[in-house]
Amino acid sequence: MKTIRFTVNGNEVAVSSPPTKPLLDVLREELDLTGSKECCGKGECGSCTVMINGSSVCSCLVLVGQVENETVITAEGVGLAQNMDVLQQAFIDEGATQCGYCTPGFIVSAKSFLNQIEHVPTEEEVKTALGGNLCRCTGYTKIIKAVQSAAKLSITQQGVKN
Amino acid sequence: MKVSEATLVSPSTLDECLLLLNDQKHSVQLLAGGTDAVVRMKEGVWNPDTWINIKNLDALRYIEEVNHEIHIGALTSHTDLVESKLINERADVLAQAAKEIGAIQLQNMGTIGGNIATASPAGDTIPALFVLDAKIELRSLTDTRLIPIREIFTGPGRTVKKSDEIITKIIIRSQDEDEIGIFEKLGPRKAQSISIVNVAISLKMGEKPRECLEGKIAFGSVAPTIIRATKCEYMLKLNPLFDDVIHDIASAAWKEVMPISDVRASAKYRRNMASSLLERGLYRLMKRWEEQ
Ligand SMILES: Cc1cc2nc3c(=O)[nH]c(=O)nc-3n(C[C@H](O)[C@H](O)[C@H](O)COP(=O)(O)OP(=O)(O)OC[C@H]3O[C@@H](n4cnc5c(N)ncnc54)[C@H](O)[C@@H]3O)c2cc1C
Ligand code: FES
Ligand code: FES
Repeated sequence: MKTIRFTVNGNEVAVSSPPTKPLLDVLREELDLTGSKECCGKGECGSCTVMINGSSVCSCLVLVGQVENETVITAEGVGLAQNMDVLQQAFIDEGATQCGYCTPGFIVSAKSFLNQIEHVPTEEEVKTALGGNLCRCTGYTKIIKAVQSAAKLSITQQGVKN
Repeated sequence: MKVSEATLVSPSTLDECLLLLNDQKHSVQLLAGGTDAVVRMKEGVWNPDTWINIKNLDALRYIEEVNHEIHIGALTSHTDLVESKLINERADVLAQAAKEIGAIQLQNMGTIGGNIATASPAGDTIPALFVLDAKIELRSLTDTRLIPIREIFTGPGRTVKKSDEIITKIIIRSQDEDEIGIFEKLGPRKAQSISIVNVAISLKMGEKPRECLEGKIAFGSVAPTIIRATKCEYMLKLNPLFDDVIHDIASAAWKEVMPISDVRASAKYRRNMASSLLERGLYRLMKRWEEQ
């Protein structure tokens, strides 16, 4: 056991855990952040996607000892019911979520992608950005539309602010 | 998921890391992006006493031009390669190979050093490193050696790297204006797929239309380690690379590769695809060259 300190969704945390425990398990079991899901456990499905220092990664393949002093953002950090992000609202509006198991992973991947661009992405661009996330329900079309409409909305909102 | 009993240490400097690697009493293993290592750890295949976490050894994460060469730190991520202006301009084939690795999450996590050390016959950066004449720097507490990439791999999953050594640096040729490269890959799914066949091509072009002065071709996944297609390389120089010549060169690739059948594809399919990928790659390169 070791005390490992890092930041999750803006809060500093200290967890007591074997350093070789996957970050995903620590988020879910120690920190009660159950948005991130385990599905394949080996990097193939993206349901466990979180951001570390802004980059999307599979938290099932990161050991908690590797994130000491780093900044982690999960789907809960993108937004909760009371302060939903435009992206999450777009998923609801477009009907981009069905069973919902894959959704937190998609939200984090899409958020990290949208943070890096300042235009409305083409369908191809969204497909590349979300290629590491699998969904067995929606057929993807609505997910792609949701990401595009969130991009559109954020651009208009920024335009209003400026 | 079963938690490994192993300990994990995070050295803050390379020297500290070399000291840890020198430990004779315990089994130790390096852990970089973890995209191969954690999968194997979970499968129970890799279970050292201690994992040496080098993910945050930023001193080994850089891309820089030195004289006429490019030096790449072993902890450079695939995303770093994809986004690097220098790599895109002077080693385009490597940028393209890195872009074909897994999905974005995997490119953010995985490192070039890890891709080499894993030594998979399907590793995507490796054929690109072959055609760029890469040299790999290995360091231990007492020694530093620079090994040409063709001497690194001794079989699937095996390299000449000793247990107390770490890959510190990869040195590649910086391509001139008259050199172009391309990476082509066939896998079952665009993102996240292990190559069934891949090929890296680098050509030095002459003054005359489609005249090739010299070329290098390296195939992955069609032999126990990466192979250079030397007969095809020889043919590149014989005639200008018009479409019928490209077709002949690609047909010759059929005889140069020696693939196996496995769960992902049969040997015959791999042979056919090796020819097709080479043909497509050369064809695309010529189009790009003429549009330049
Ligand atoms: C879902 C999935 C998809 C993938 N798709 C692809 C793909 O399309 N193409 C491809 O080529 N690969 C693919 N991979 C494999 C993997 O992502 C790459 O090989 C990656 O580059 C490994 O780097 P890493 O930093 O994650 O290595 P790690 O997993 O951290 O380490 C791998 C091995 O290398 C050793 N090592 C790491 N760094 C060093 C160093 N500096 N010096 C010495 N030894 C070192 C470790 O000890 C370990 O034995 C995929 C993996 C997954 C899980
Ligand atoms: S659970 Fe992590 S990628 Fe599938
Ligand atoms: S909504 Fe069910 S897996 Fe995507």
